[in-house]
Amino acid sequence: MTAAAREAQFPSWDIVFFGGAFMNVELSRRGFLKATGAGVAATSLGAMGFGAAEAAVAAHVRPLKLANTTETRNTCPYCSVACGIIIYSKGDVRKGERAEVVHIEGDVDHPTNLGTLCPKGAALKDFVQAPTRLTQPRIRKPGSDRFEDVSWDAALDRIARLMKHDRDANFLATNAEGLAVNRWTTTGMLAASATTNETAWTTFKVAKALGIVGFDNQARV
Amino acid sequence: MSSSSGLQPDPSMIGRLVKPVFAVLPDPTALFRQRAERFAVLAEGHDLAPYLRFLGALSAVQADLVACLPAPDAVPPEQVERARANAMPPLDRGALGASEDFRATLVRFLEAAASVEMPAPAAAALAELHQAPRTALGEMIGNVMGDAIPFEMLAQHLFLSAATQVHAARLAATLEADKLVPLETGLCPVCGGPPASSVVVGVQGAEGARYAACAFCGTRWNEVRIKCLACGSTKGVGYKSAGTENATVKAECCDSCRSWVKILYADRNPALEAVADDVASLGLDLLMQNTEYRRAGFDPFLIGY
Repeated sequence: MTAAAREAQFPSWDIVFFGGAFMNVELSRRGFLKATGAGVAATSLGAMGFGAAEAAVAAHVRPLKLANTTETRNTCPYCSVACGIIIYSKGDVRKGERAEVVHIEGDVDHPTNLGTLCPKGAALKDFVQAPTRLTQPRIRKPGSDRFEDVSWDAALDRIARLMKHDRDANFLATNAEGLAVNRWTTTGMLAASATTNETAWTTFKVAKALGIVGFDNQARV
Repeated sequence: MSSSSGLQPDPSMIGRLVKPVFAVLPDPTALFRQRAERFAVLAEGHDLAPYLRFLGALSAVQADLVACLPAPDAVPPEQVERARANAMPPLDRGALGASEDFRATLVRFLEAAASVEMPAPAAAALAELHQAPRTALGEMIGNVMGDAIPFEMLAQHLFLSAATQVHAARLAATLEADKLVPLETGLCPVCGGPPASSVVVGVQGAEGARYAACAFCGTRWNEVRIKCLACGSTKGVGYKSAGTENATVKAECCDSCRSWVKILYADRNPALEAVADDVASLGLDLLMQNTEYRRAGFDPFLIGY
């Protein structure tokens, strides 16, 4: 409908002109619109005559900054039930901020636990933020009474070295009947539960390729 | 979503996992009455007090109207079945706008709304609606049904939207909630409309679940948390709030489609109401205007932000 037609049809209505041109632009449902012609935003409050209240809110929030928070889905690391959790953080890493975990609760959308958590899971925030939480590898050498911090490289090298020694010494290539087997019974492996199926599959392949018999990939701990 | 049933302990509830219901249909009387009360509470000492008091009075008009209108004709069962089979909304907005029932409700609403105290531009818009020819009214009603409000006539359409809410909520109330099916992310399973906002509820049986709230028909439906209600993406969803991280009203922002929808944490403040608190948190909209995100929530009382 043209402006003239609309005026003819609804003579009593205020037709709003911006820069002299009638703008018959619809607010799209998902859209955002500002009447650009006169630099004025067309808003419900302005149209209804509550512009002063709108200006008061604008003045009130002008000094405020937007605070970033995040909510992140994850899996509880404790046991093989693998409950869904939501981790609430202050700050947003994606925005270049440091995120600090402020709260953890059960994920109501997760089919396993529907938002519930066991007492251990409910205390996960303290687990994340515990001052005694292990953040790097440590070693207690034979005969020592204390743990020492070591680098990841040193830890992995030492683990690999010890595994090699032990496997070379104790690996069984044949059983009592002389049949070929793949058995390494003197070293065990315990992997955690908070993994994807793919991680669990890879862990299994590593352990079984080496012949490790004593192996558990579920954390019944 | 039943409310807590008194103070008596109920051991049968312990250890039982309850899946939150998919949809909660409106109780029109309670919906508008509670909204009116919430607007009144929010207005106290609020920068936006005049508008909140006005919308509170308008919600009271809606509630009074619901109380005195005869029961509407239920949505025909075959229409509900057909909608179910094709994952379409059972409430036909086009038919709603054209129905004589709705026109009668509209006339009564416009008459009752005249008693509400309002500024001159609003009163003028209301007076124009009273005199509008049937065809012109029909065109405007079409805009309301399509959630496509022409910005040069926001005031007229605000009144029409309020009248439509009354009729749509009463029709939605005739449906059966357990016969509704999810359509698409961010679409009302009753009328197909977008949400005004979404609410994280704390009621028994749905603790921590998020319900999107339709401003058109008053239906609330379950949506997965941390998911964009505009595009359905779960990647790059973050939250912004005005001033403090501890806010109970936040903007759920999506980096995939660059839009945002308000999320109200009623698990922390049960008084929060999807439409009233959407309007009262206008400050957040104003702050969000300076970001790269655009508002995707649709509230006929808060257009243009």
